[in-house]
Amino acid sequence: MARIELVNLEKSYGFVKAVKGLNFTIEDGEFIVFVGPSGCGKTTTLRMIAGFEDPTGGEIRIDGRVVNDLEPRDRGLGMVFQSHALFPHKNVAQNIEFGMRMKKVPAEERVRRVREVAQMVRIEHLLEKMPAQCSGGESQRVALARTLVTNPSTFLLDEPLSSLDAKLRRELRAECDRLHQALKRTFIFVTHDQEEAMTLADRIVVMRDGEIVQVGSPMEIYSNPVNRFVADFFGSPSMNLVNGDIVQENGALRFRAPPFDIVLPERFKSAAPGKGTLGIRPESVEVGNGAKGDVELPVRLVEPLGKDTLLYFEADTERPFVAVTEGFGMAHINVGERVPLSLDHRRIQLFDATGQRVEASP
Amino acid sequence: MSMTKSKSRRITTIVRYVVLSLWALMAFFPIYWIVSTSFKVDTQWFAWPPYYFPDPPTLSNYMNVWFGAEEYTQTQYAISSQKPLISLWNSTVIATISTFLSVFFGSIIAYGVSRYKILSEARMFQLLMLRMIPPIVIAAPLSLYYSAIGLLDSRTGLILVYFLTTLPYAVWMTKSFIDEVPREIEQAAEILGASRWRTIFEVVLPLIRSGLVATFLFILILTWSEYLLALILTKTDVTTLPIELSKYQGSTEGRVYGRQAALAVGITVPLMIVGLIIRKHLARGFSFGMVRR
Repeated sequence: MARIELVNLEKSYGFVKAVKGLNFTIEDGEFIVFVGPSGCGKTTTLRMIAGFEDPTGGEIRIDGRVVNDLEPRDRGLGMVFQSHALFPHKNVAQNIEFGMRMKKVPAEERVRRVREVAQMVRIEHLLEKMPAQCSGGESQRVALARTLVTNPSTFLLDEPLSSLDAKLRRELRAECDRLHQALKRTFIFVTHDQEEAMTLADRIVVMRDGEIVQVGSPMEIYSNPVNRFVADFFGSPSMNLVNGDIVQENGALRFRAPPFDIVLPERFKSAAPGKGTLGIRPESVEVGNGAKGDVELPVRLVEPLGKDTLLYFEADTERPFVAVTEGFGMAHINVGERVPLSLDHRRIQLFDATGQRVEASP
Repeated sequence: MSMTKSKSRRITTIVRYVVLSLWALMAFFPIYWIVSTSFKVDTQWFAWPPYYFPDPPTLSNYMNVWFGAEEYTQTQYAISSQKPLISLWNSTVIATISTFLSVFFGSIIAYGVSRYKILSEARMFQLLMLRMIPPIVIAAPLSLYYSAIGLLDSRTGLILVYFLTTLPYAVWMTKSFIDEVPREIEQAAEILGASRWRTIFEVVLPLIRSGLVATFLFILILTWSEYLLALILTKTDVTTLPIELSKYQGSTEGRVYGRQAALAVGITVPLMIVGLIIRKHLARGFSFGMVRR
C-alpha cells in the first residue's frame, strides 16, 4: 500500500523556485507519469519523494504519514536511475542482492530471491557478469531487478529509458508496463518523452516551470489539452497550431489567418474576438478528396513512413502544416502542388491570446 | 625541398627516441651508480678512472651495514652495531602506520568535502598552504612540545607528525577521486537501505581503490624518506633509515660510500617492491578520471 500525497510541495535553490507549491495525490497502484520539458521540476519532485532533496516548503505524505524528515532508506521506496547506477565493482548477482544484504536477509533466501527476480526480468544468464560487460538494455534490466528484489511499495523511475536506443526503449517500456500489471504497485515515472507518457500512464502529470499544468488520462490530455503548451507537447507529429484572429462577422465567428479562413463551429460561440490560435491534429486533416476543402496549400515535403505518409504544407505558420494520410496513396504527390485540405470541425481546438483553451460551450 | 610524410614521421620518431634515451640515461645513471658502488671493495669507491663494474663484486658492504657481521668489522670503515636493522623496523612501522592513518582519515575528510562541502574552496587551499611552510619552521617548536609531553624520540611522536603533515595531500588526492564517483551510485545504495557509513565503505571506497593505492604509495614515499623532522624529533632510540643513512657521512668516519650505497639500496628496495605489487592499481590510479565511464 502506498498512497503518496504532495501538499504545497516547494523547492527553491536560492532565488530559483524549481517546484512551486505542488498539490497532488498519487493513488495506490497507479502508474503516474510526470512529463515536461527539461527544467520543469519533474525530476526534482521525484527526488523529493525519494528523499534525496529536502523540500523547502510543504509536505510529502506516504499513507498519511509525513516523511519529510525520513531518510531515503526508511521510506520503503525503490528507485531506478537514468544512469542505471549499478555498482561497477560488484557482479550482477551481488548488485541485485545488495538491498537484501542491507536488510540482513539470510544468505539462502537471498540466493533464491535473486534467481526469482532475475527470471522475472530475464537476466538469469547475466548473474555472474560485471556491469561493464552488460549492454545498456541489460544494465537497465539489472537496475530494475535490483529495485524489484527489495519489494518496495512504490517504484520511482527517473528517465530510466532515455539512455537507450529507440528499439530497446520500446522493449523496456513494455517491460515496465508488464511489471506494473504483475506487481500492482505504485509506479512514478519521470520522462520528457511524451510517447512514453502516453503509452505507460494511468494518469499523466504535465509540468512546466515548476507547476502542474494538467493532470489526466493520456486520452484526456491528448484530446482536451488545457492550453497551447500541452497541445503542442503531446502527439507526434505535433498538433498544427495556426496563429491568427478570431473575428465576428455576420453573426458567425470566424478564424482568420491567411490562407486560412474558417467558420468556427457553434460550440466556440463564447470565444472573444481577438488574437487566437487554431489547433488541429494532423490525423484530423483530410487531404484532397475532390471537395473544395477549408484551405488549399502547396506541398513542401512528403515523408512516406510505411504505414502512413506525412505531408508537410507551406502555410505561413511557424512550423509546416502537417497532415497524415494512410498508406502510400499520397507518397507520389509532387512538391509544390496545391492540395485542398478539410479540417475535421469536431476536432478543432481554439486557444485564446494567452494560450488557454477556449472552452466549448455545450 | 619537400619531405615525404613517411620520411618526416621517421625523423620525428628518431628524435623522440634520442631525447627519451638521454632522459632515461640521466634518470637511471645515479641509481646504477649506487647499486654498482654497493658491491665494490673500498679501494674502488673513489678510484680514478672509475670502475663502472665492481671487480670483483663483494657483499662485504651489505654484510657489514645490515648484519654487522664480524669478519667485515675489522676494516677501518667498520660499523659495529646492527642499527640499520632496527632503523628498518622503525621506518617500516612509522611510515606504514602514519600513511594508513593519513589515507584513511584523508579519504573520510575528502568525502565530507566532496559531498557535504565541510571545507570551502578557500579552506581546502589553506589546507594545502600548510604544506608550504618549511618543515624547519615547525620542527624547533614541535621538539619543545614533544619534549614536554614525552613524545620526543618515540615512534608515536613521529607517526603523529607524519600523519598530520601528509594529511593535506591525502585529502586533496582522494577528493579528486571521490569527485569522480557518480552521486547516483551512492543514492542507489542509500535507497536500497545502506547507511551513510556503509555506503562509504561498501561503495565509495572500493570504487576509488586504485586512487587510494596511488595516494598510499605517494604518501608512503614521503614518510619513508622524510629526514628533517626525524632528525630533530628523535635522538637515539628511534632512528629511521634516512637518519641512519646520513650517519655514514659523518666527519669522523669520512665518506664511506660503499656502506652508504649498500644502505641506500636497502632503503630503496622495499619501496620498489611495494610499487611492483600495486603497479596494476598505480597505472589506473594516476589516470583516474581521464577515462570517461
